[in-house]
Amino acid sequence: MISCTEFIPAYSELFKYLEGKQGKSALIDFWDYLSDIFLTNLKDDVLKNGIKGCWIYWGKTLEEEAADFTMELDEGAGEFSITMHRCPSKGRLLEYKHLEPYRDYCEHCDVLYRRILEPLGYTYILDRSQTDEAQCHLSIKSNNPNKDDILPEQTESKHR
Amino acid sequence: MTKQKITRKASDNQYLHKDFHIAFNYSLDYLRKNMGEGAVKEYLAQFTLTYFAPLKQSILTNGLLALKEHYEKIYKIENAEYRMQFSETELIIHLLASPAVMHIKNNGHPVSPLFRESVSTVNKVICQDTAYESEVLAYHEENGAYRLRFFKR
Repeated sequence: MISCTEFIPAYSELFKYLEGKQGKSALIDFWDYLSDIFLTNLKDDVLKNGIKGCWIYWGKTLEEEAADFTMELDEGAGEFSITMHRCPSKGRLLEYKHLEPYRDYCEHCDVLYRRILEPLGYTYILDRSQTDEAQCHLSIKSNNPNKDDILPEQTESKHR
Repeated sequence: MTKQKITRKASDNQYLHKDFHIAFNYSLDYLRKNMGEGAVKEYLAQFTLTYFAPLKQSILTNGLLALKEHYEKIYKIENAEYRMQFSETELIIHLLASPAVMHIKNNGHPVSPLFRESVSTVNKVICQDTAYESEVLAYHEENGAYRLRFFKR
């Protein structure tokens, strides 16, 4: 059995395998697939709670991943951010002496989450300039913060 | 409208994100659907040769004890229920239910038909170029339980 604590190297090696076999487009296709089929909980949280759904989603996952981070939410402004002081995934990959991480491992974060959030009306900005030190900054902003408190569920019920 | 801010250190929490089992399952299933069964086995072999290189090295030095200690550690992390029979020439592991398979199923996701390769292919490749071999004696799709045997060639 592969433990969930061994997933990150398995994931990084899969990126290498897919790109090596079928090129970068195959890797992007895989990330799109994984976003659609696996990140349904993020989508559900945001549909139900607006920008606060990001707080709920990442609050759970980052604690389970034992990340070193600061997370901020301003519901009135429709803004959410994560300052990742030490990413548990990239940090682990950098610590392994016997394997080389996929050359742009953190790109998957840009593809997977952007694909969920932009269609829901959010601007997704991920600063990956310091990922060599397992650090990044994520900013998510509602494109219409005044309406962000009118949740899709409420909007739906008004139309009934 | 509230403003909230939290800061967490790595030491505040235990590293155990079980949803990674779901992502791994979908990774295998993506390969199966798009590139076939051979690609699943080839990828798992490539991953195993790279990631488990230190374990393979430890088997060369310490024999089956290295495998026993590896799986004891993994099962403890995952809070798995298991039995082991161990001697210098044989190690039999009986995993009563796979925490990976159970987490995937309990969260409503279908388990890939090739998920068992994460047991059979991975352990076969771990044993390559060592004095040992592995064989899956039994595998139960419904809960991922298995009986796995390592033995001297």
